[in-house]
Amino acid sequence: MNTNQTEDNNTVINISHLTKSFGDLVAVDNLDLRIFQGEVFGFLGPNGAGKTTTINMICGLSKPSGGKIIFQNYSKQNNPNIRAQIGICPQENIFWPKLTCREQLHFMGRMYKLSAGLSKKRTTDLLEMMGLKEKSNVLADKLSGGMKRRLNICMALIHDPEILVLDEPEAGLDPQSRVLVRDFIISLKRDKTIILTTHNMDEADRLSDRVAIIDHGRLLSLNTPSWLKKSIGEGDLVEIILETEKFQRADEMVNSLKKLCKQVKFSEKALIIKSKGLIGLIPGITEIINNHGNKVMEIRLRENTLEDVFIYLTGRKLR
Amino acid sequence: MKLLSVINKCTREQIRNFWILILTVSMAPFFVFIYYLIIESTKPHYDLLILNRDNGIQTMGATINYGDLLIQSAEEFENDTSEIPLSITKSDNKHTALKRLRTLKADALVIIPENFSEVIHNPDMANDTINTEIEFIGDLTNINYMISAIWANEILNQYMQELTQENKPIKIKETSLGFSGSINDFDLVVPGILILSIIMLMFSATVAIVTEVEQKTIIRLKLSKITAFEFLSGVSIVQIVVGLVSVLLTGIIAHWLGFDFRGSFWSLLLIAVLTSVSIIAFSLILAAITKTVSEVLIVGNFPLFLFMFFTGAAFPLEAKELFTIAGYSVTLPGLMSPSHAIIALRKILILDMGLKDVVPEIIAVVLLTIIYFLIGIWAFKARHMKVE
Ligand SMILES: Nc1ncnc2c1ncn2[C@@H]1O[C@H](COP(=O)(O)OP(=O)(O)OP(=O)(O)O)[C@@H](O)[C@H]1O
Ligand SMILES: [Mg+2]
Repeated sequence: MNTNQTEDNNTVINISHLTKSFGDLVAVDNLDLRIFQGEVFGFLGPNGAGKTTTINMICGLSKPSGGKIIFQNYSKQNNPNIRAQIGICPQENIFWPKLTCREQLHFMGRMYKLSAGLSKKRTTDLLEMMGLKEKSNVLADKLSGGMKRRLNICMALIHDPEILVLDEPEAGLDPQSRVLVRDFIISLKRDKTIILTTHNMDEADRLSDRVAIIDHGRLLSLNTPSWLKKSIGEGDLVEIILETEKFQRADEMVNSLKKLCKQVKFSEKALIIKSKGLIGLIPGITEIINNHGNKVMEIRLRENTLEDVFIYLTGRKLR
Repeated sequence: MKLLSVINKCTREQIRNFWILILTVSMAPFFVFIYYLIIESTKPHYDLLILNRDNGIQTMGATINYGDLLIQSAEEFENDTSEIPLSITKSDNKHTALKRLRTLKADALVIIPENFSEVIHNPDMANDTINTEIEFIGDLTNINYMISAIWANEILNQYMQELTQENKPIKIKETSLGFSGSINDFDLVVPGILILSIIMLMFSATVAIVTEVEQKTIIRLKLSKITAFEFLSGVSIVQIVVGLVSVLLTGIIAHWLGFDFRGSFWSLLLIAVLTSVSIIAFSLILAAITKTVSEVLIVGNFPLFLFMFFTGAAFPLEAKELFTIAGYSVTLPGLMSPSHAIIALRKILILDMGLKDVVPEIIAVVLLTIIYFLIGIWAFKARHMKVE
């Protein structure tokens, strides 16, 4: 089996040449990507990059101006209404302010044709899991911002969808809730295909199997977070502080180091080395330093983060 | 059943949005009340006070007081002639009676003198020096005084005639033209106001639909497996119930204020349900042109006013005929379904006609409802359900 075939077999959503314009503005520009069964797919991009617009088209809330979204290898093929198999937590909270948490989850369950018993059970379970048990009988109106967000995540899940779309799920959540939601998403992984957008790079890094970085509606890069961190941007940075007052054979040492990593600078007692995938090179670097008669006192490492990759790709300009 | 879940949800929301509910349900009963007050206060009314100073007389061991008998006779007169808006009140004290006259709380005061019984008992005694004088007091320039005094005089004459067993060849019979007659204006407006109570559904029904648009929950409904038809049916059923509650309340208040319901209850119910459905269908059009609840409350006033004031709901209306279809005249207000419902209700509730007498009206309401519904569904889908 070649890679293409494996990919084909795993693809759940196949997006090709997807375009969406609002008048003159091209919000999504010829986007090509595949989302695989059981993965957490992170959508990253600055404000206005076109993440929500793409998601809305995937969910069928908005019509593409061009291109196609094909759902394939979809296990419940007999159900023509693919949208009913998507659970969405939209960027803005959407709920019935005058219904209690329990009432609206149960109502939505019924709207998705769950039996009354199943709908009630899932309602109770979800409220419990999202830490809203105590607020079950409180009007949604009267919840705090973070609780509303969690209720909205529950709403996405009530009908046990195969595809879960979370548009900035952690927006407005406190660290406790963030951990709760993160663990929850991890627990759903494999079982469900999850599409996630977030501005929290750390979150995206920890959760996503693959991330797509988009800007101005165009795909800039798509790969695993670790690959992106290794391959894009200025790379990791190591600051090495030596024990000796004066470097022994400094020029010779730098030249040897430069064969290993591109950027090497030294100032006073410290060597500053920048390179992609630097962590793996550290043993070699210390060896060279030792071989030249110098001794390492301290190594400070700043790894390339997803945020660095993001800024490197999308620039610093505000949208 | 999804429909039951929708009904359940809408009921809870409707009750929790109680300001809209109160606005919808209370408007028509309020109108009934206002009409009652207006009609009551414009009706002519004559208040006659009688002060009895008669000492009475002893005959055969008993006391007879002819003054009391006169008052009794006056009260009988009042009861026998209920179509005459005359009310007779006994007064104990001249001072307070005069005060009532001055403050226009009464129109005329009749004082029966101390020697009334004495003179009546011995009519021969009466001569130039001894006689009895019944005093009439009132504002001579006031028409109400004059009318009250005429009636007082008539009562007195009848009484004297009874006492003296004299046959009086002439009797006064008053036939009034206009307000005080048998046409009851209140009866005429009640059918319209019953329909008005349903017209008010326009607000609550439109709000029930538009809130889903405003709070974007319509997106959740669109993504789920419910159809627009199922959802709208659920909303409509709850609104029909609100409409019926509103009609019931209005009816109870109208009855309490003196409206005499004729015709069959089931006919009234049928017309009420049909009109409710019709208003809900119209609400769909209103929902299509609005996006928020506050817009509904502003924009909604235009159709509300049209439906209220140009269908005969708020007051009886004669519309100009445009043309006729099968003998049934088509008018501009006739484009609004409540105008037919009102005509039907008048026939049923006032003229005690049966359902078969209102078939043309029912057909008109149903046809208009279908038209509203088709326009409404089309416009609503185009505006709020379309994926762009
Ligand atoms: N309904 C609309 N009409 C016109 N322009 C729109 C509409 N929706 C989105 N846009 C424009 O499309 C672009 C992409 O918007 P989108 O909401 O997809 O961004 P996003 O990546 O989700 O941003 P954020 O991180 O701020 O949520 C923006 O420039 C936005 O102004
Ligand atoms: Mg967005």
